[in-house]
Amino acid sequence: MGTKAYLMVKMEMSYARDGHTDGMKELKAMPEIETVEPVSGDYDFVIAATVDAPVRVASVASEIRAKEWVKNLDVLKVEPAAPNPFLDEVCSTPGGECVRWCVQCGMCSASCPNVGKMDYSPRKIIALIRAGRRYDVLTSNSMWVCASCYLCTVRCPKDVKPTELMHALERLSFHHGLRHGATSTPAMYNAFVNSINNNGRVHELGVMSKFYLKTNPLAVLKMIPIGLKLLSRGRMPLKPRKIRGINQLKTIIEKANVLGGAQ
Amino acid sequence: MRYYSYFPGCSLEATAVAYGLSTQAITGALDMELIELEDWNCCGSTPYGSTNELESLCIAARNLALAEKTGLDLVTPCSSCYTTLNRANSQLREYPDLKGKVDECLATAGLEYKGTVKIRHLFEVIFNDTGLKTIESKVMNPLTGLRVAPYYGCQLVRPEPSFDNQQNPQSLDRLIASLGAEPVPFPLKDRCCGGSLIIPELDLALGLIHQLLESAGSNGAQCIVTVCPLCQTNLDAYQGMVNSKFGTSYNLPILFFTQLLGVALGIELQGLGLDKGVISAEKVLAPSVTMAEPAT
Ligand code: SF4
Ligand code: SF4
Repeated sequence: MGTKAYLMVKMEMSYARDGHTDGMKELKAMPEIETVEPVSGDYDFVIAATVDAPVRVASVASEIRAKEWVKNLDVLKVEPAAPNPFLDEVCSTPGGECVRWCVQCGMCSASCPNVGKMDYSPRKIIALIRAGRRYDVLTSNSMWVCASCYLCTVRCPKDVKPTELMHALERLSFHHGLRHGATSTPAMYNAFVNSINNNGRVHELGVMSKFYLKTNPLAVLKMIPIGLKLLSRGRMPLKPRKIRGINQLKTIIEKANVLGGAQ
Repeated sequence: MRYYSYFPGCSLEATAVAYGLSTQAITGALDMELIELEDWNCCGSTPYGSTNELESLCIAARNLALAEKTGLDLVTPCSSCYTTLNRANSQLREYPDLKGKVDECLATAGLEYKGTVKIRHLFEVIFNDTGLKTIESKVMNPLTGLRVAPYYGCQLVRPEPSFDNQQNPQSLDRLIASLGAEPVPFPLKDRCCGGSLIIPELDLALGLIHQLLESAGSNGAQCIVTVCPLCQTNLDAYQGMVNSKFGTSYNLPILFFTQLLGVALGIELQGLGLDKGVISAEKVLAPSVTMAEPAT
């Protein structure tokens, strides 16, 4: 379980007047620090930080003390952090382990081509996970509009791998049956997976038909012209192709089902 | 002659038949042989990995187990298969837990995967193993004057660092130049086409495709060349929809790099699947193709 610490910081006189905002920014950039509040009186800031073990409070404190604009720092209180089972769950899901390393720089969100369509940007999703907001995260549409372009992943300075995180959240959302009402991506994914489980290969026409039937049969009208163009060019086979080893594949999948470890 | 194990992927049996045809048509000229992996199954792609981790690794691992027996590198022309199979490989390395379970599942089917298969993208293989020098020497129809936008898409150079810059790749530009054509500046060359979100999130994907067409078109491209079946379908089949949604009039043929190679190498055109495109490439290729006639 984590540890929560409250730290009080006094600035050097020469920085106190103009350095306030810069100092706050610097503190907020530290991954362990959750909030920084300016206060008046003997101290300039009160900081709330969460670390994974009590001993880490000392290292955070000395890191802050080492800043040249810090005159002194006192530890006000150290207590067990409120449990965050959702954070633990995400961290124990393959792909979700790295959210603790995020420094909230926002590079992922700034790189994301689909951020405009997301309920919460990738950076915010991570902040929400760390705040334990399980329901908000798993019922959001964010992961369902991620197109796996991996731009966030190659640009993240802390190697958090937001793309993998998005996939982990999709699996958790499936697993818990929590679903965003307006996204139909899960229905497409289901149709896709079924097609593989039945034939060993994806049959695109089958996936599309199943998807539209499930979500919006009328929308199919819009797709007919494209479908016909592909059909006339031999790009849309009507029948699925079954692999010869389909029973072998089914045996493997059944065993995986028994062993679990779905997420 | 170089030999490879070949994983075409499901799209090459459907929307991207032209990619499969043109790939097979050029291998001879490039002194390589692609031996199709016996009875391969779908790699699982993003949808499976986003639904169930263990099952998705198992179905990818069946392919890897089959490929391991051949002892050859596994080559795929599909960027999504490439990323998915590579991801399975690294997950199996990084999560011994999952690997143990996957081993158990494979064992029920009499299969075993040790983890030795190297997965490669067809483009990377042609770029590195064949090499531009060799390709240049084999060009029969230089594509002089053809302005081509090199479209890498997302999953050729990301997420793992491999053979080219991950945000500003150059290899496809150089291949195009080696065929005598002119690679145009294409700022969005590594950006997303929406992938399979084209089905559930049509408007979002159309927006992305629109930006790509605009980026290529405004730089004078006469066609776009891609290395990915999803990119080709999205940009080709949905271009009309983009035009009606955004009031534009793009008419950019979207070619697979293997088709462009085939034309330049003087491969018989019928074998290249050029008639499969929704947007015909006939006009833009006409100058290079007619130049070919006297030679035959
Ligand atoms: S880019 Fe990485 S470190 Fe920055 S906010 Fe995103 S996940 Fe966090
Ligand atoms: S991988 Fe997903 S979350 Fe990351 S930038 Fe691309 S679309 Fe956005």
